[in-house]
Amino acid sequence: MEFVNESQEKIKSDLLTVNMGPQHPATHGVLRVEIKTDSEIVSEAIPHIGYLHRCMEKHSESIDYRGVIPFCDRMDYLAAMSMEWGYVQAVEKLLETEVPERAEYIRVIIAELQRIASHLLFYGVYAIDLGAFSPFLYAFQDREKILRIFEEVSGARLLYNYFWIGGVWNDLTDDHLRRIGSFCDEMEENMKKYHNLVGMNKIFRDRTSHVGVVNEKMAYEYGATGAVLRGSGAKWDLRKNRTYGIYDKFDFDVPVGTGEMGTQGDCWDRYYVRVREVFESIKIIRQALEGIEAGPIMGKVPKIIKPPKGEVYVRTECPRGELGYHLVSDGTAKPYRLKVKSSCFTHVSMLPELGKGQMIADFVATIGSIDIVLGEVDR
Amino acid sequence: MSAHNNEMTFTNDEELTFGKWLKNIWTGISTVLKGMGITFKYVYNVKPVTIEYPEVREELPKNSRSRLFNDAENCISCYQCATACPVDCIYITAKRRDKDAPALKTKDGTSIKLDLLQYTIDTALCCYCGLCTTVCPTECLTHTTDYEFAQYTLDEMKYDYLADDIRAWRERIVK
Amino acid sequence: MSNEIVDFLNKEVPTSNAKLLEVEAGDVPVVVEASSIKDVCFALRDSSDFKFEVLQVISGVDYEDRIEVNYMLASFTKNNEVIVKVNLPKENKDSIPEIESVCDVWKSANFLERETYDMNGVKFLNHPDFRRILCPDDWEGHPLRKDYVVQEKYLDMVVNPEHKINQGDFDFMTKAKLESDEPKKITGSWKGHVSDEMADALKRKMDSLAAAKSE
Repeated sequence: MEFVNESQEKIKSDLLTVNMGPQHPATHGVLRVEIKTDSEIVSEAIPHIGYLHRCMEKHSESIDYRGVIPFCDRMDYLAAMSMEWGYVQAVEKLLETEVPERAEYIRVIIAELQRIASHLLFYGVYAIDLGAFSPFLYAFQDREKILRIFEEVSGARLLYNYFWIGGVWNDLTDDHLRRIGSFCDEMEENMKKYHNLVGMNKIFRDRTSHVGVVNEKMAYEYGATGAVLRGSGAKWDLRKNRTYGIYDKFDFDVPVGTGEMGTQGDCWDRYYVRVREVFESIKIIRQALEGIEAGPIMGKVPKIIKPPKGEVYVRTECPRGELGYHLVSDGTAKPYRLKVKSSCFTHVSMLPELGKGQMIADFVATIGSIDIVLGEVDR
Repeated sequence: MSAHNNEMTFTNDEELTFGKWLKNIWTGISTVLKGMGITFKYVYNVKPVTIEYPEVREELPKNSRSRLFNDAENCISCYQCATACPVDCIYITAKRRDKDAPALKTKDGTSIKLDLLQYTIDTALCCYCGLCTTVCPTECLTHTTDYEFAQYTLDEMKYDYLADDIRAWRERIVK
Repeated sequence: MSNEIVDFLNKEVPTSNAKLLEVEAGDVPVVVEASSIKDVCFALRDSSDFKFEVLQVISGVDYEDRIEVNYMLASFTKNNEVIVKVNLPKENKDSIPEIESVCDVWKSANFLERETYDMNGVKFLNHPDFRRILCPDDWEGHPLRKDYVVQEKYLDMVVNPEHKINQGDFDFMTKAKLESDEPKKITGSWKGHVSDEMADALKRKMDSLAAAKSE
């Protein structure tokens, strides 16, 4: 092999820059990752974001408190209900409004249904990222049922404007509750099937285990939350550890990654955490359906909302991680400043470290497994 | 290939024995067969859930928020919808009625004190949040369940609810 | 909780001059000196009592005379959270205040500080990769400043093109007032966004009407 060695000394090798995105289907939106590749291996990954920047924070400074809720929907359009909940909680905390019991129950039911819908979408899209198409259709079939319930309750399919300051917009009828109950039974069966179809598949396991490992220390350093943090083994869930709403009434587990199929904190762990979260959500919904009682759905809120001077920072657990709203009020009818802590934004900042030394195909699997929505990253 | 065996190669730490190799093949085949079983169940046991759109149209739920419609006869020009709108897509101008003009009343009995001169909604800007319809005191501004209103230009998306052909238009869009 | 943090900071970092902010409602932030922010962050992260191992978000708030930078810290092992607030005085509306970067303390600060620079115009010293993040690199101004005016043109593209602003609808009320004999009877949902010539013409008309009335 003398020939090879000789020629290789003469060839000057250089890194090749490849732009992954902004129209790459595996980036879930308009994320552009500038990858410097050494043959098939990523030696540097630089995320470029901002293609979906719609100045939501600036807009919210010029509209009244109720008008901000539709904008919150549009930040994370796949988990709009959960996004609204954080915002209305922040305003309620400033106003010190009491939310009626039934409204709290409805909020829990709706938010957990939204979590299932969001995780189903993750499941389908992640399978597409790794080359399997039919799971996507199965997941959408079930997601459609949730969206249908949401549409009947709130009037819209994706951007609901359903959680209002002080309560919720519409009441759930008994028919809705019955349908949600039967959906839960169906979903439990289906999710087991889906997990067997994708999660236990040998090809899927080989593609995702040992790939994109986030250990606990790294997760803390980068401020990772949600399934990324839990996948690395940290047992942290805001619903359990810093209870908000009426989550303290429900009994549920916090699934964490154990490294069953590979290293702790790899892509498979994050996938499996989300799958198990679907079962936990079903558990919560069932308990909520039992506990819900008739009553009012709106608390006492003034017609023009003028919170007192002050600031709050409220965190809620969204399907994609922790969502925080830093709301500064100057006593007028419009927010002085609304800063959104988006979990996807912090997860994107992990990409340079995660991508280093990976194969490009593995990098796609890593991006898919942290489940980013670019609407929330750029806001 | 000496240049490629630096730190960037990926090797499993565990040694691959013949038994493990066979086991790998077995898990591969069995899990794929399991998945195929689920897929085949779906092929033969599940009815199609999609509809063929232009021929079959889905009917939206009653309270679904789609194209806006304002019944201008019942509007009292209170500007509440325009104030509540977060994207400012509602344009209203009104003139105070003369004192000696004949009294007008809406369907629910509220007296109309202003004459509408302009009631335009730029539907291209509308975000269908439903805040305008909930504040409307006479419930003249409503969301219809009509969802097919694509247009070729932005100007066509601007709806003038005081137009002459509003009756015909209303019959067409309010189902 | 916040009281303990203030006592701890004053003991550990004497230059921090930590105190609680008096507020009417909501959370109580801890205000520290801007020059000591890095020491404060190190102390809070490494202290065995608090263990703030996560930087959640950096939020800049623009006021007339200063920019506040809020560091939301959280501890997942001790289940705490705190808002550390820093006041950066602003000389005039174009000045960009400076503060030490905390990238060495938490890696998540990298993107968050870039966002704060992009949106609020705060310069973070000793940041490893300091550039804009959401806006393009050659964008002018910092959008979340209260006095921000959007630039008219960006790379030969008009930022707010005329055909996308419904100027005709905005002007409708003014036009109707100009044509009417009793302009005071006409009201509209729109106060602003009227073109200058129309506003001038209306003002002249109102003046002449007022003069005619007084005669």
